[in-house]
Order: sequence, then C-alpha cells, then structure tokens
Amino acid sequence: MSWSIALHEWRRLRAGLMFWLLLAFAQLTIAWLAFAQLEAFARIAPQLKSGGTALDAMDLVITPTLSSLTLMLLLAAPLLAMGGFAGEARSGRLALWLSAPLASRQLVIGKVLGLWLGLAPLLASALLTLALLGLAIEIDWPRFALAAATLTLLSLWLAAVVVLLSCLFEHPAAMLATSYGVLLFAWLLDSVTPPTAPWHWLALLPHVQPGLQGLWRSQDLVFFLVTTIAAILLAVSWLAQRRGEL
Amino acid sequence: MEPLLLIRDLSHGSTRQPRLREINLSIRRGERLALLGVNGAGKTTLLQIVAGMLRPTRGEVLFDGASLHAPGSTARRRIGFLPQQVACYPELSLQENLDWAARLRGLSPRARRAAIDEIIPKVGLEAVATRLAGRLSAGMLQRLGLAQALLGGPELLVLDEPTASLDPLQTEQIRDLLDALSADTSILLATHLLDDVRRLCGRVAVMRQGRLGAEHAVNDDIDLLTHYQDAQEAPA
Repeated sequence: MSWSIALHEWRRLRAGLMFWLLLAFAQLTIAWLAFAQLEAFARIAPQLKSGGTALDAMDLVITPTLSSLTLMLLLAAPLLAMGGFAGEARSGRLALWLSAPLASRQLVIGKVLGLWLGLAPLLASALLTLALLGLAIEIDWPRFALAAATLTLLSLWLAAVVVLLSCLFEHPAAMLATSYGVLLFAWLLDSVTPPTAPWHWLALLPHVQPGLQGLWRSQDLVFFLVTTIAAILLAVSWLAQRRGEL
Repeated sequence: MEPLLLIRDLSHGSTRQPRLREINLSIRRGERLALLGVNGAGKTTLLQIVAGMLRPTRGEVLFDGASLHAPGSTARRRIGFLPQQVACYPELSLQENLDWAARLRGLSPRARRAAIDEIIPKVGLEAVATRLAGRLSAGMLQRLGLAQALLGGPELLVLDEPTASLDPLQTEQIRDLLDALSADTSILLATHLLDDVRRLCGRVAVMRQGRLGAEHAVNDDIDLLTHYQDAQEAPA
C-alpha cells in the first residue's frame, strides 16, 4: 500500500512546475560542470601523462561533478518536499490523510518513497550525462557504480529527513527554511567538529565522499540505514500521535 | 437492532478545556442524524473522531460493534468523510484526485478503477472528469469531495457542513445527491443550516459547548428554529 501512495506522490510531483524546473536546472548545471571539468582535464592531460601522476579523468572530471550533484540533491529535496505533510496541512488535505484507513507507517513510507521517486530522475539524468562522457574519456565503471549507489542512498536519506521535517510544521515555508538549516548543519558539521567528537558521526560529508571516490565502507552504509530508519520512525510516531494512536 | 455507530461517554481535550464532554449517541443503519450548533460547539471535533482523524480522550466509538480506534480496525474503510474544506490537488485532474482518495482508502488498482467509474456519473461530473481540480467551480469541488467520501460504498457518511459555502443552486444539487443515496447509507451531518436538517435528516441534536443536547425527530411538527434557540439558551 505504501507503494501505491508513493506512486500518487510521484504523479503529484510530475504534475507540478517545481519538479520540471529542478530537473532542467540540475541537468543544465551538471552538463555545464562536466564539460568545464573535461575542458580543464584536456588542458592538463599531457602534463599528467608526462609527470606519471596517478590522477585520471575519474578523479578530475567525474568525482568533482558528482560532489556538485550531492549539493544539488540537498537543494532539491526540501523544495520537492514542500508538498509533504506541511504542504498537505497548509492546503487542507491533511484531513483525508489522517482519516485514511491505512497505518501511519504506510502513509509515511509512501511519502518517503514518493519523494525518493521524485529525486530519482534528477539523479538518473545527471548520472546518464556523466556516463555518456565514457564515449570520450576512460571511466572506471565499478567506481562509477559505487558512486551512483552512494548517491541513491543519499537521496533516500534526504527523502526520509525532509519528510520528517515536513511533519513538524504546518507551513511549507517554515519546513523549507528548517530543512535547509538542518542539511547545512549536517553538511558543515565535518569542518566545525573534530573527528573524535561523538556527534561527528552525524556529519554528512565523511559518509558521502568515500563512496564517491569508490570506497564502500560498512560504517557509511550503517549511517545511512540507521538515520533513514530513525527519521521514518520519528515521522511515523508524529503521525500516529496526531491521529491519537499513541 | 444493533446500532451501526455507537458513541459512549466520549470526551475529548484536556480536563480544563474539554472540547467534547460525555457525548452519547447512536445511529442505526440507514438513519440520518444532524448535529446543529454554532461555530466552536464541537461538531467538527466529534466528526473528526468518528472519521478516525482523532482519538477520544475518554469513552469509546463502536462501529458495527467493534472499536473504531482499535489497532488494525478495518471499520474506517466503511466510513466516508467529507471535511469542511474539500481535500484535493488543484494540479491534478478530477479523476486523479479520486484515484488518490481511493488509494488512501486502501483499494486495489482494479477496485479503484471500478469505484471511480461508478462514482463519477453518480455525482454528475462526467463532463469534467479530466479537468484539473483547480479549474472546477465551488459546487463541482464539493461534488468531488462527496465523490471521494462515497468511494468504495461506505455504510456511514460523515459530512462536515457540505453546503456551507455554496450558492442556492449548488446547495440544491448537493442535497439532491445526498437525498438520492441508498436508504442503507447512514449519515452524520454537521451543519448550521436548518434547511439541510429538514431536507436530509430524520433526527437532530443540538451541540453547545462540547455537549450534545437531547435528540428530536425531524418532522412537520418540530419547529427547528425554536428547538435550536431553546438549546442555545439552556444552562450549560
């Protein structure tokens, strides 16, 4: 049943202008960044070859562009989540959601999966653009696949976090501002806390960068799974409390 | 005959500021009960509890003998709810909005299609089935809301001021639709329009400050306005 809700959310996102604007913006920006990196790489490639350095197109073109894609996903997720529970409350649709004869967990998981489906085309189109560069440069495909898997996990994490935040507000603008605050905090936590601090584990970048560089670490997988499940459980408990189930 | 809906000693809200106090009422299959009352009397809260949106602080709501708010209760599937403000996505078509409501009711894809195909002509919206909800008139939107509530053939229809914001013609259309419902469909209607009560309901009760007053049968003998005024002036 969650999947049925997710498909509705996906349809709703496709029907809105925001989704298409974000898709176009992400696609144009990624294409521009990729070609700018490619041009810079082409300029220094002879020097790299003669210097015998281990850096290749994967390090100098693909990985930096994927890092930019991470930032773009962070910007896009809260905008797409404006139609989450905060948007439903603002538009007077929450009544039907709350009175639905479905479990709160089905509704929340449906919302999260729906947002994930909304982020998927942004991710897929950017990855496809970069994969097409394989016609011109040598791409380390296993590493590329690991980076794609990391970004897929990141987008699921983002969907869960912003759906949770959308539960806490009655106005989408408040949700949007708070989401950007929380995501910026998670993004910057790495640079403002020492690696030994216990809350450093919550920093986003140290869990994303290794994956983008082709390093698949179990601790990163655990981070994404634990925080995603925690966000979903918190959102479910909020919804259940709102419906008087707790 | 066992009532379809039975509310026993229901209260909602904090002890200091209760929204509903010791509500008792029952509705039998096919029966239509109107709740009259001023804004803030507690009508909407009571309807939201019956629709499953809220859980009572005290007391219980039984639907066909089973607790409506028990975990895993399937009773909510048998209740249709039309909230005060019609819930719809203006960027989706009327059909897509009905599909959303059907998904929320947990209907399978085949059941969804069948229910939507059946309900659109019933509410007279065939001509605008593919039109975006944002481009529908207030009357059409209200019919869309009613169609959402009727999806899957509910046994109890919970209606929160269904004609409040409509012009006389649209009001009449909604009343005709509700009038034409199967005799087996029970209705719990919150309104402050006496004409709605006369036209649609067999019984009426007045709510005031979270309490439910005595019920009366709606017939030619009852002067609803006097009954309403008496209930408002009675000591709380």
